[in-house]
Amino acid sequence: MTETAIPSELNGTVWKIEVAVGDRVAAGDTLILLESMKMEIPVDAPCDGVVAAILVKEEQAVEEGDTLAVIAQK
Amino acid sequence: MNWQPELDELRTREELARRMGGPEKVARQHAGGRLTVRERIGRLLDPDSFHELGLIAGRAEYDDNGQLRDLTPSNSVFGRGRIDGRTVVVVADDFTVRGGSADATIKEKVLMAEQMANQFHLPIVRVIEGSGGGGSVKTIETRGRANLPGGVGGTIAYHFTTANLGVVPVVGLGLGSVAGLGAARLAASHYSVMTKSSAMFVAGPPVVARLGQSLGKQELGGWQIQTRSGAVDHATDTEEEAFAAARRFLSYLPNSVHELPPVTEATDDPARRDEMLMHVIPRDRRKVYKVRPIVESVVDRGSFFEMGSQFGRSIVTGLARLEGRPVAVMASDPYHYGGAWTADACAKIVRFVDLAETFHLPVVYLMDCPGFLIGLEAEKAATIRLGVRAMTAINQTSVPWCTIIMRNSFGVAGAAHQPAGRLSLRYAWLSAYWGSLPLEGGIEAAYRAEIDAAPDPAAKLREIEDRLNKLRSPFRTAETFWVEEIIDPRQTRPLLCDFARLAAPLLKPGLSSFAMRP
Repeated sequence: MTETAIPSELNGTVWKIEVAVGDRVAAGDTLILLESMKMEIPVDAPCDGVVAAILVKEEQAVEEGDTLAVIAQK
Repeated sequence: MNWQPELDELRTREELARRMGGPEKVARQHAGGRLTVRERIGRLLDPDSFHELGLIAGRAEYDDNGQLRDLTPSNSVFGRGRIDGRTVVVVADDFTVRGGSADATIKEKVLMAEQMANQFHLPIVRVIEGSGGGGSVKTIETRGRANLPGGVGGTIAYHFTTANLGVVPVVGLGLGSVAGLGAARLAASHYSVMTKSSAMFVAGPPVVARLGQSLGKQELGGWQIQTRSGAVDHATDTEEEAFAAARRFLSYLPNSVHELPPVTEATDDPARRDEMLMHVIPRDRRKVYKVRPIVESVVDRGSFFEMGSQFGRSIVTGLARLEGRPVAVMASDPYHYGGAWTADACAKIVRFVDLAETFHLPVVYLMDCPGFLIGLEAEKAATIRLGVRAMTAINQTSVPWCTIIMRNSFGVAGAAHQPAGRLSLRYAWLSAYWGSLPLEGGIEAAYRAEIDAAPDPAAKLREIEDRLNKLRSPFRTAETFWVEEIIDPRQTRPLLCDFARLAAPLLKPGLSSFAMRP
């Protein structure tokens, strides 16, 4: 089992969380939508796996590099 | 009696030099997953094309009769060779000889390599592993003095290291640990690559530890640090891939500023129209899209070569071809701050536009820029000054320029979508959308009194927004000739190929009015 931390690529606000802990996701699925410069910026899963943790809440401000979620892979 | 004994001695000395640091050090290099300097040069260049200079320079040992006993070569290897049939200079560090340290370099070799590139108008590839510079602190004892960096007679190498950026293509490859002057020579390039197992830093972990920072090589200067910071353009898994990247980069550029970029045979239909372009921009302006497939769709198939993908990421930069003609491509990436110009993106634009101007590459800009990044962090990063610096770099270009406005063009960053004061080509897509500042927030600023006085301020705001939106169609802008042409986006490639044809006779070889900075 390996865990992949999903970092924010930019400074912004969490707009919507599209998955819940325990959800199975495939690479490319959108996990979270950030809002920056009034745009919705998807944060996509880099790999297949299961959402092990979500570390942010909607409307929370995040900075580049902050871990948003963790995906566990077999 | 002929000169056979001398020839034999020459061959002996050459053989000794080719052993590099000896079998043990070579084995250690291989065990670290790294090639030796001679293997690197062999794989970078066309087969058997390397003509070395200064092979037998080094430190010799003699017996009591004055007979040569051994020779340790300099750890700098240089000469000329060919890449895809074109001659280049390569100068490469040999880590197996005293860890690539300048103690054993014979710095005149490095100097002559740079000088040869400069004066024979040849691209230079610097293969860097080690530190270079003034050497280790041991030299204080061996030379009996401390080194004044750039002391008497010691600046000429620095002169060529930087001045060559204005004359010939310079590629830096960091393969292993790269520090000090080695790091400087890597960064002072038009295109730099490191392998993912390499590390690059001003000063390595032991020196940094004295500041109280206990970091491993990778933590301090691994590829994730250096490509994100923009100090290095690209990282590869293997040395082979790094050589391939160097070769590919050079394939778009002339041998020097005194020539024009090499045109290759056209391999892709200039009239090709991609249906995808009709629906790629979402109608919902809050939604983003991937810009790289758009770039790849409009340039010659397979010709897009991205540079610096991890840095200043709201702008994608790279080289490409249109009907075989090399061009410099910039494209906004809405995934990063909606394509807004950050301070980093502005620094990236300056360097990229300078590269285009230096080597006579027409510029194509696929634009979707909502303006400069705004907010406190952006102000703290001096985004506006970096922004006008980028605008100045664009305005200083003389190469032909073509801008496609895919969606947003807002504010001062929006105005910098083509060089000011001269005519460039410009086409707006059907999805184009522009303004001095966005309606959101802009309305509150401009219509404050009217909104405050309304019985339902929110409704008033919506009413004003609706009113203004009706006037925002790009057709109204075209109607007043404030934009000259709105196009079917599928027509983009034919028009860009047309641009490259129009640009070709306008390109003039020669030195730029400025010598670019790294």
